[in-house]
Amino acid sequence: MSIVKLEGVSFVYGKKSPYEIHALDNVDLAIEENLITGIIGHTGSGKSTLVQMFNGLIRPDSGRVMVDDEDIWARPKQIGKVRFKVGMVMQYPEYQLFAETAREDIAYGPKNMGLDDEEIKHRVAKSAKFCGLDGDTLDKSPFDLSGGQKRRVALAGVMAMEPKLLVLDEPAAGLDPRGRREILGGIRKYQRESGTSVVIVSHSMEDMAMYCDRIIVMSHGKLILEGEPKEVFSQVKLLQSAGLDVPEIAKIVASLREKGVNISKDIYTVEGAVEALSALKEGGGKNVL
Amino acid sequence: MSFDVGIGQYYETNSVLHKMDPRTKIFFVILYIVSIFVAKEIYAFVLLTAIMLATVIISRVPLRVILKGLKPVVVIVIFTAILNMFLTKAESEPLFSVVVIPNFWTLTLCVEGLINAGILALRIIILIIETSVLFSYTTTPIELTDGIEMALSPLKKIKVPVHEFAMMMTIALRFIPTLVDETSKIMNAQKARGADFSSGGLVKRAKALIPIIIPLFISSFRRAEELATAMECRCYHGGNGRTRMKKLKMKARDYIGLLFSCAILAGVILLNIYTHIYSI
Repeated sequence: MSIVKLEGVSFVYGKKSPYEIHALDNVDLAIEENLITGIIGHTGSGKSTLVQMFNGLIRPDSGRVMVDDEDIWARPKQIGKVRFKVGMVMQYPEYQLFAETAREDIAYGPKNMGLDDEEIKHRVAKSAKFCGLDGDTLDKSPFDLSGGQKRRVALAGVMAMEPKLLVLDEPAAGLDPRGRREILGGIRKYQRESGTSVVIVSHSMEDMAMYCDRIIVMSHGKLILEGEPKEVFSQVKLLQSAGLDVPEIAKIVASLREKGVNISKDIYTVEGAVEALSALKEGGGKNVL
Repeated sequence: MSFDVGIGQYYETNSVLHKMDPRTKIFFVILYIVSIFVAKEIYAFVLLTAIMLATVIISRVPLRVILKGLKPVVVIVIFTAILNMFLTKAESEPLFSVVVIPNFWTLTLCVEGLINAGILALRIIILIIETSVLFSYTTTPIELTDGIEMALSPLKKIKVPVHEFAMMMTIALRFIPTLVDETSKIMNAQKARGADFSSGGLVKRAKALIPIIIPLFISSFRRAEELATAMECRCYHGGNGRTRMKKLKMKARDYIGLLFSCAILAGVILLNIYTHIYSI
């Protein structure tokens, strides 16, 4: 079952001006339920534009956007409702915090949904827990928090709306490796426990390989590749031609295969590579290695 | 909401006007504006309109772009024209009059009113087109502030911080697109959290702006601080002894431009004196 479906969606920025950019070019795609879908692409490949279609922030020039099998632009005045179904955390979301305390900021979305105070309180506590924010942090001004904490407050603010689909645009950008692990691990835990569907936009192949169930690759406003991580990352050549870096391990595996080593092309993590290589070694492949 | 604002709408066509020294253009525009307000005779307006059209053609900026830039002022032009139409004191027989409130307020329309309104509209329109062609379409904001700085540099002798003003202007202009971009990003982010900017009463709408204005302020301060640090890191210490990458230099075309602008003013004055078709 798919939660979001795009049919022949195109979008042009700066139409009829000298700076016309075809951000999306006739894209068809479906986001499956209960999975973490990764959207990767080079800068300017249209991935951010693509996800802003999902909750109606951008209206496509042509084509249809279906959420829960309903065309979201059938009644443009009701577009606000879609945003409660599809929650979106934009790039660098820490810059959108505004309330006096982190708690109030997280409550902003649920309040806009018109929930009662009890329910808002409950949801704020729940999403703060997922994001690893304790009571002390919640009572502070969001501007007194560290960068990573701010980001998690912003994330909790969208999670508290309990959308059916959570879209995250570069959630780990600009964080150190530990911050990345914390935030992406938190998202994965949230997905597994709540059964929500999640879309992560990123250009970090390593992160995508670790956390995603499905991967969509964009290049020049077109969808060029779609599938499970192992299928996608085995296409080293195609990915590189789209200006993307492949996970280091996938590159090593590809060059080993070129040298005639009998190793599966579906390997893209360190663990996988260790396993396959030690199997080769035991199987008498010493000479080859 | 659309954010295709027309600030910094530089339009590259590589025409003579693009290459001209900004100081010449500033001088030209000042004299042209003076001419517009000095002009009294119908022929003077014909001359000024012709010059406006000539600049548009020389600039090679498409008419479509210029008309689009004119759109926001149309309402103001129409409004002032209508006011003028009825407020002009009638010397000839009125064309018609409407009594709005008996013995107190009567709207009369006469030929002079019509002509005055027309001339006023023409004045505003040619003024806007000429300044926007010479300043916004053919001059980059940086060139313009450079030109202003150079033109005002004699004031440095009496301790006016000309360089600092010019730098402030450059920075302000430079950050307009950035701020616009930032605003639309923050608006989108809050919309994604269910914010509604387009419904409800005045108070509700004003309140809905808080989640935009606060982050915008904070990021502006952050930007200002970062910029100040970056400038200090590159040893910026004000205008003294600072050299330029692009030195402004007056060329033959600039002197011709200067002469030409003087000629326009002179021409308008002469036409005022020697023609008597209709004068205001």
